[in-house]
Amino acid sequence: METSLSAVNHKIIKQALTIRRVEEKFLELFSLGSLNGTVHTCVGQEFSAVAFAGQLEKRDFIFSNHRCHGHYIAFTNDVRGLLAELLGKASGTCGGIGSSQHLCRSNFFSNGIQGGITPVAAGYALANKMKKNDAIGIVFIGDGTLGEGALYETMNIISKWEIPLLIVCEDNYYAQSTPQSVNLAGSITARPEAFGIKTFEGNTWHVDDLMKQAKTAINYVRSEVKPAFFHCQTYRLNAHSKGDDDRDGGEVEGYRATDYLMRFAAEEPEYYGRFLTTIEEKITGMTAAILNEEDLPLNKYYDPQPEGATLIEWKSIEPVNKRQVELINRFFKDKMEADDKLVFIGEDILSPYGGAFKISRDLSFISPQRVFSTPISESAIMGISNGLALNGFKPFAEIMFGDFILLALDQIVNHASKFHHMFNKQVNCPVVVRTPMGGHRGYGPTHSQTLDKFLIGIDNVTTVALNALIDPTTILNSVYEEKHPVVLIENKVDYGKKIGQNHSKYFTYNVSKDRYPVVHIKPVMSSPTLTIVCYGGISDMVANALEDIFLQCDVKPELIVPSLISNTAILALVKEKVEQTGRLLIVEEGSSYGGFGGELVAGLMEIVNFPVKIKRVGALPVPIPSVKSLETQVLPNKERIIREIQTCFL
Amino acid sequence: MALLQEIKVPLLSVNDTTLTVVEINVASGSAVASGDLLMVFETSKTTFELHAESAGFVKILAEANNDYEVNSTIAEIFSTLEEAKEVSTPQFAIVDNVTVTPGSNILTLPNPEFTGSAIFSNSAKKLLAELGADTAVFSGWDLVTKEDVEKNILPKNKQRQSPIPIDEVTKNNEILPTGIVSKPVSSNKKREIEYLSAVQHTGLISTVYIHLDTRNIFNYVNRQMKYLKNSLLPLIIYEGSRLLRTHRLLNAFYYQDKIHFYEAVNIGFAIDIDKGLKVLKVPGTDQQGIFDIEEQIFSLSEKYIEDKLTVQDLTDITFTVTDLSGEGIHSFKPLVNKYNSAILGISAADSRTKSLTLSLSFDHRVTEGKEVSIFLRELKQRLESYSYTDLENVRPDVTCYKCMRTLNEDLTGLGMIPCIAIDGREGHICASCWSGH
Repeated sequence: METSLSAVNHKIIKQALTIRRVEEKFLELFSLGSLNGTVHTCVGQEFSAVAFAGQLEKRDFIFSNHRCHGHYIAFTNDVRGLLAELLGKASGTCGGIGSSQHLCRSNFFSNGIQGGITPVAAGYALANKMKKNDAIGIVFIGDGTLGEGALYETMNIISKWEIPLLIVCEDNYYAQSTPQSVNLAGSITARPEAFGIKTFEGNTWHVDDLMKQAKTAINYVRSEVKPAFFHCQTYRLNAHSKGDDDRDGGEVEGYRATDYLMRFAAEEPEYYGRFLTTIEEKITGMTAAILNEEDLPLNKYYDPQPEGATLIEWKSIEPVNKRQVELINRFFKDKMEADDKLVFIGEDILSPYGGAFKISRDLSFISPQRVFSTPISESAIMGISNGLALNGFKPFAEIMFGDFILLALDQIVNHASKFHHMFNKQVNCPVVVRTPMGGHRGYGPTHSQTLDKFLIGIDNVTTVALNALIDPTTILNSVYEEKHPVVLIENKVDYGKKIGQNHSKYFTYNVSKDRYPVVHIKPVMSSPTLTIVCYGGISDMVANALEDIFLQCDVKPELIVPSLISNTAILALVKEKVEQTGRLLIVEEGSSYGGFGGELVAGLMEIVNFPVKIKRVGALPVPIPSVKSLETQVLPNKERIIREIQTCFL
Repeated sequence: MALLQEIKVPLLSVNDTTLTVVEINVASGSAVASGDLLMVFETSKTTFELHAESAGFVKILAEANNDYEVNSTIAEIFSTLEEAKEVSTPQFAIVDNVTVTPGSNILTLPNPEFTGSAIFSNSAKKLLAELGADTAVFSGWDLVTKEDVEKNILPKNKQRQSPIPIDEVTKNNEILPTGIVSKPVSSNKKREIEYLSAVQHTGLISTVYIHLDTRNIFNYVNRQMKYLKNSLLPLIIYEGSRLLRTHRLLNAFYYQDKIHFYEAVNIGFAIDIDKGLKVLKVPGTDQQGIFDIEEQIFSLSEKYIEDKLTVQDLTDITFTVTDLSGEGIHSFKPLVNKYNSAILGISAADSRTKSLTLSLSFDHRVTEGKEVSIFLRELKQRLESYSYTDLENVRPDVTCYKCMRTLNEDLTGLGMIPCIAIDGREGHICASCWSGH
């Protein structure tokens, strides 16, 4: 059943042997202590890399996983970049930042999160389809990845949307140390087949066949503009990583005996020896040179950015006789027409329904090819958006309820937020994910939360919260201009509110002219004696409570409402105001612990040298009840705010 | 068209380089007549009324509750209203250590668009109702708190002390402990701190104490004094002033490496009866008899209570006596005032031991323990000499041979001198007869 050796092109053998020798070099360097971290080698699986990655075109792309070295070499032929990367040198593929599991070079990407790469690859492939550039992509998974849910969300979507992506499942029978028989139910190929995805099979022992089958699958995806699934059986001859091999020695030796390169060495020692010498010389020479190179200096990696708001110029807030939802919708309609890179993606967003909160009303009428209504698959929505963003589009993903954003958090934290830096700034991921938070609708524990606290501390992600005090258009434009990921938090109660209504004549309503405007409401003449900071959906309630706070608490309140909440750019302003009032109240719709208020207080304490009395008011730390009487009490309300002011400040 | 009068912060006392404007009695731009009250200052010692010296239109350049340097212009009187209304850059210097109290209602620039009437917090409404006060004073305001009402409606001397949780930011920006209630000290207290610090900050202040045997001294006092019963104050001021003539280092002060001696003896006595701590001057003390001194103490105290003290009553004090005997304390260490070298403290008399403690704090840069001890011992001797007028134990056989008065009947309280009478017999003569009265 073994492939006739003569049927296989020597060029392919040399490529596979190069991969093997590089992998073995890594193991050698690791044992010498020259390699920081770990490596997952693909010794024994090289022909999968050669068959799939090696037969793609330059315009195509690859998303790979933790065991990606072979795919990388087969696709890019960049041995030197890979060696330098793993040796942690500045000249490495990603400057040594990503190392073994996080590679990036000309349409090749890898990430160490199992399953998470599949929707990103789908998004990247979708972008190619939208560009009509005839490019396709391959995403490599292992048989272990078959346990990840994101894979099934992705298979469902790529089949439904006919996305030209080839999933290559390298089945080496083990998920790390666990045999497949322990973890996997049913059949591998039945899975994609269930989604209506054309499925191919092959293995790395019949190299000639594999080359042909792989080519067939690639051609199918390209010509049909449809996804496919390739089940490629193989066997890794080394440990999962290093030293973590509990497999039966006899089993491994059995596979070693049938390994194509081992057979070639035995049967064609002259060729093998000549190939090996050439490859060895090349790798050894490169390694020696690389070991003398410099690491990337920190300042080339981390470049501290000054924090946002300038707060120099203020203007008064002009009432807008339109509901917030109309203004957001208008923004997207305008942008959809003006920019053919804008993509709107989410659940139930097609018109005439137009989304659960009608943000996307009419968008699919304006531009049906760039509005994607998805299955209920938050992880895939976010991952596909990440892929679209990496491939030149400006995706706005909508998560119907803020509560569900947790299902997309892996994509935000482990993918979107990381790509730019871990790929050493070769790519940007300008994705935007929007979602409404907030209660007061009686939706209960899982549809009413304000989960901002989980979203404000993600490095390299800008988190912004709209409020009903100002026209959201400025904020939306700034979000649209961002080059890096943005989480945009909206509020389901705010959607129906008109902007700048019910202004009290006793207060002045100003907004800064920043990219992310800050609202400042203060008594028209008096100096304030209490500084309040809040943001997001609760801002409107607090702004409307200022008169009552004054009447009942005998303090003159001022209110500061930032829109940018992933940094504390308002610190200087808050410090200036609190220095005058001596009192700071922070109101958050979510529960206080671990939230923006805590960050603000910590930041303030780092810079003040005067005494200040501080109080935070947030939701009570229990799930939000549906019953109205309890919901009102659990969420921060005017009465509680007034009570807290009276208790804490007077 | 002329500037008729330029009104500057007067120098009322060498001790005061700044004065506090406590009241402004006319609005800028209003017409005033000569003699009209323009504003009231507070010095470290008292208040001072500033009156117009010309008729005209006044331009006020000061704000109430701010401190101004002596000689800075705080008001001008012009011949025409237009001149008074002209905007000019204020020439005065607000003393920079008087900071705006955080939390206080300092009006910001008026908002020209604001035309509404003020709203009052519930607490402010309640207080206004209690006071039955007119809210017109708040016309043009936006928000009025209870504190605003207290500041603007309650008379200054009846101001309620409302606890302010956080306010005074310390000048040197120290981080204060939490859980405190802070309020600014009054300008009086600030000056008190300043004057006491002036001497005390050197740390070269020492105090000596002496026991005074009070047996029978009070008998004398209560018999002789017209107003002040059970008080040794007049007696101590009287005797002290005599001693200060010779102990000149205690009637002096230290300044810039020199000891400056006072020519006069002007003893001041400290008083604090609900009007703040003040030191009132008995001028030319050493020239006055004991009864004059008593009368002065009495009349100065009345002026103090009635707020009628003048600057003269409070300045040029050369030595201070502070009497805490009414408070029942056993002994204390008084603090030396600026431009003094010593201060005498009177503690309460112990009814069982028939004694009290006199304490004398002094500036060691001027004098030293021995000199001060001698002064104090001499003072003790002089005061204890009055105990000889103990009427219960008066010898009945001593009679003035001239006027035939017995010791019991002698009003001078000085006793009698043994003598050889004109007829050659041994006898006694009273002070009156001896001095020919």
